[in-house]
Amino acid sequence: MAADDDIDTGELVRLTVHGVLPDQNTDTYIVILRDAQHADVLPIWVGAAEGGAIKMALDGTVAARPMSHDLIRSFTEHLNIKVSQAVITDVKNNTYFAKVHLVTESGEHQVDSRPSDAIALALRTNCPIFVTQEVLRQRGGTNLDAWLERFGTKNLGK
Amino acid sequence: MITQMKVRGLTFDPYSNTFVVILRDEHNVDMLPIWVGKSEASAISFALEGVAAPRPMTHDLMKAVLDAAGAKVISVVVTDLKDNTYYARVHLMSEDSEYSIDARPSDAIALALRADAPIFAKEDVIRQQATEELGQWLENLKPEDFGKSES
Repeated sequence: MAADDDIDTGELVRLTVHGVLPDQNTDTYIVILRDAQHADVLPIWVGAAEGGAIKMALDGTVAARPMSHDLIRSFTEHLNIKVSQAVITDVKNNTYFAKVHLVTESGEHQVDSRPSDAIALALRTNCPIFVTQEVLRQRGGTNLDAWLERFGTKNLGK
Repeated sequence: MITQMKVRGLTFDPYSNTFVVILRDEHNVDMLPIWVGKSEASAISFALEGVAAPRPMTHDLMKAVLDAAGAKVISVVVTDLKDNTYYARVHLMSEDSEYSIDARPSDAIALALRADAPIFAKEDVIRQQATEELGQWLENLKPEDFGKSES
């Protein structure tokens, strides 16, 4: 994580993945992201496959065969690509958008991603996850504490 | 020896409750059915139908990462079949170096379709597969069973 010092985080808030919960009502998972002070909570709904990929990384489970995000990590290792940060950049109509920042021999690149893929990759490459202040502000209308209460954070990680 | 394969279609196997990608050689002589998960089936289906998802799917991100590094997918090869599990390798070219990377066939195929890269299978794998009873099951499939990607 030494490279964190190089990152301009002026408008960004660093988040950690607090847990992944299956959503009983739909075939999806909810990824709970929190900031270091636990002041902000960002729940993101993700597909079953991506939720599973995030859960495996959180639990430190290694699949017998490389999963999709393991293959991306494998590419970055072979090609000497550094995944420098994953940033949740936007939310529109409850859909989140993210960018993965890469450093290659030719320089820095940003590629579009769903947050689920960005997070699944970030957890496998020990890269920090950020969200813009603006996205957090847009989330502000929701009473997240009540929301988390409802889901029961004690179930996290199961 | 390796044989070039094309993705002939995608179908659903109600017995195992999973999707099957059908690979065939260009003469429709050899066939290789590969069982894949739902999300990989969806990734392959998007590419087959040329549908661009509103947001990049996992394999779109995978390709974007390779593009950023200037790496090209030369080919993907289904290399092995052990205990009903298929193995594949993705061959990459970056600058003057070649890389051969272990992958599941589902990921390899989803990536190959996005990178316009050829898909090959080792003849050993095709032969080994053919000795199983899968061919018979596939013969019984109706044409309308193919091409369905939605569950």
